[in-house]
Amino acid sequence: MTLVHNWHLGRRMEYPYFESRPKRQFAAVFNINRCIACQTCTMACKSAWTYNKGQEYMWWNNVETKPYGGYPQSWDVKTLKLIDNGENTWFTDEKDEKLSPYGVYEGDTIFEAAAKKNINQWAVGYIPEDKEWRSPNIGEDVAKSNNKSDEYSSLPEHSRWFFYIQRLCNHCTYPGCLAACPRKAIYKRKEDGIVLIDQKRCRGYRKCVEQCPYKKPMYRGLTRVSEKCIACYPRVEGKDPLTKGRPMETRCMAACVGQIRLQGFLDDNPKNPVTWLIKHDKLALPLYPQFGTEPNIYYIPPRWAPRPYLRQMFGPGVDEAIDKFMVPSRERLAVLSLFRMTQSIVFEYKIEEGPKVFETMIHGKKFEMYNDTVIGFGEDGQEIVRTTIEEPIHIRDPKHLNSI
Amino acid sequence: MKRRLMLLKRYGFALLSCAFLSTSAFAAEDTAPGVKGASDEEYTPAKEVLTVKYVQMEKPYHLDVESLTGSFKDAKEVVIPLQKQDKAFPNGGGSVSNAEVKAIHDGLSIYFQVKWKDPTRNARAIAVQEFRDAVALMFPLGTVLMDPAEHFSPRMGDREKPVNLWHWKSDWEADMLVKGELEDVEAQYPNMHDDFNLNPYSAYYHRDLITSIAVLSGGRAARNLLSQPGRGRSVEDLNAEGFGTLTTQDHQDVFGCSRYEDGEWTVIFYRSLITEDPHDAQFVPGGNTFFNMAVWNGGEKDRNGQKNISIQWHPLSIERVAWQ
Repeated sequence: MTLVHNWHLGRRMEYPYFESRPKRQFAAVFNINRCIACQTCTMACKSAWTYNKGQEYMWWNNVETKPYGGYPQSWDVKTLKLIDNGENTWFTDEKDEKLSPYGVYEGDTIFEAAAKKNINQWAVGYIPEDKEWRSPNIGEDVAKSNNKSDEYSSLPEHSRWFFYIQRLCNHCTYPGCLAACPRKAIYKRKEDGIVLIDQKRCRGYRKCVEQCPYKKPMYRGLTRVSEKCIACYPRVEGKDPLTKGRPMETRCMAACVGQIRLQGFLDDNPKNPVTWLIKHDKLALPLYPQFGTEPNIYYIPPRWAPRPYLRQMFGPGVDEAIDKFMVPSRERLAVLSLFRMTQSIVFEYKIEEGPKVFETMIHGKKFEMYNDTVIGFGEDGQEIVRTTIEEPIHIRDPKHLNSI
Repeated sequence: MKRRLMLLKRYGFALLSCAFLSTSAFAAEDTAPGVKGASDEEYTPAKEVLTVKYVQMEKPYHLDVESLTGSFKDAKEVVIPLQKQDKAFPNGGGSVSNAEVKAIHDGLSIYFQVKWKDPTRNARAIAVQEFRDAVALMFPLGTVLMDPAEHFSPRMGDREKPVNLWHWKSDWEADMLVKGELEDVEAQYPNMHDDFNLNPYSAYYHRDLITSIAVLSGGRAARNLLSQPGRGRSVEDLNAEGFGTLTTQDHQDVFGCSRYEDGEWTVIFYRSLITEDPHDAQFVPGGNTFFNMAVWNGGEKDRNGQKNISIQWHPLSIERVAWQ
């Protein structure tokens, strides 16, 4: 084991390989608050990559309802139980902007739990059986409630609640699957941090299926080897003719009807919308950071769900993120407006200030809205998208009122 | 003099720790992460020699266990003790305690018969939680000396000490018996739904899609032998030089057949004594070499390093043919 720095945990942790960060990291921000679980992302992925024989049960992208949903069933509960030694707590009194933005995690990661339990493999995990992968929609729209029948809920925090969580491979910085593979058939690309299974080297041992805490590598019975989300790498590389060589967002991102998704690369540019939301504004949080893999899909937590549940799922940054989301700042509102405005990956944004259009109080806090213009630039520095905070209103000419 | 002592005192510790660090770094270099070092005992071959008996045999029309088993009656068996693999991550195995090996040759081909007890027959690896029964033989490449000084690892060989492995898989044997020579997912899940079978004219309408290997599957497009239909054999011919380096050979030369009866597997491997492949172990009548073996119990979820292994090389002596 070597020691590597995991900024989600705010500390160094044990990992079988040295720290080797990619030049830029494939990452995405999902706004849970806006998801309607239409599964368009799921079908976009399915029809692109997993429509074939032996892949029937595979959903590289899926949307499940929390707390009862899960694909495979109870994947998170089962993995949490494996690492929980009763002291999975966070020390949040001191934070470092770069090294420990959420504080310091004091419990065990999947790697440390394996070393502690002396199970002689790299990470704790389990293989979900075929029956657990069935019914990907189990628990859909089932709410959890502590209410009596005549009690009602009110914002900001409901006592009768559920929310949707959109999941795909997190293309982790320290992947559990990569650590688990005894023959190094899994690799993380230096150019964009995408994690792939070499279909020639894979021998179907299913150690990745076992030790990925998010359960995103999947075994394909037909070919006797495992497959996983490939982050639509031909699109991300700009091979799709539609964007004329520009890096393009994945199928699941581009298909999002609810406009909840923004994909890009996590890098050092503070004006990169993804980097800004994740590292600077800390509005978007990692999923189960305590697993210790440094996942790269980030979530804006749902404002109505109970905070303890959300803290367990997204770490201690939840309260701050929800406060920020409920009363968005001028810049935040502008960056959020970029979601789903283009299929090309936005590498940088610029805001042109506009007039104030609205003002109100939200939970006792003053909120002012300005009709700013936000401009997105591609990898080559060319403008690829321009939008305003207020959507333009078009009033149909009376002459065409009833025509199509 | 006093000054020198002072200097020695001051720098002695640093020097000592340097020496200590370099030895520990050297020791660490010897093993990969997650791999514990081996003892001298492991580098010493076992005493008992397996004699590959020369047998004049009429080659049967069907090479199966029933027709070949008679030829083994005069060959002396060697019982190989097996144990849990406890050196390289992931550790595992330990459910099979020994296996019995016999070997014969007829001047043209070499035959190895391996028998071991396994209460469950696991001959399919289609469902995610199911693993196959398997057995493997391993031979050093070329002429080698096996003694503790040589450090030729009995576990998957070592850097610049390559080995040739013959890996028999129970599900490959099952694959050979079905149409298309690859058990389909329907074998595991009868009457399952899939988009292509729903359409009665699917083969006609989706001909391009179904016949396009690249579109159909990654494993097949990458020419992974595990994913290929019509392999025509149940034994995979591989090479390795240490943990995690196992690689399928481009040229497959080994065959096998098996029988499962009364909780016991009988597997026969066969190959011509000499092949043209430089990556294969060669067997010269009158010569000596070594072998080692491992058994996987699919019922105990054995696969990869989770296996029952022998931790010593076993000497192999190939009898001269009668006319020599």
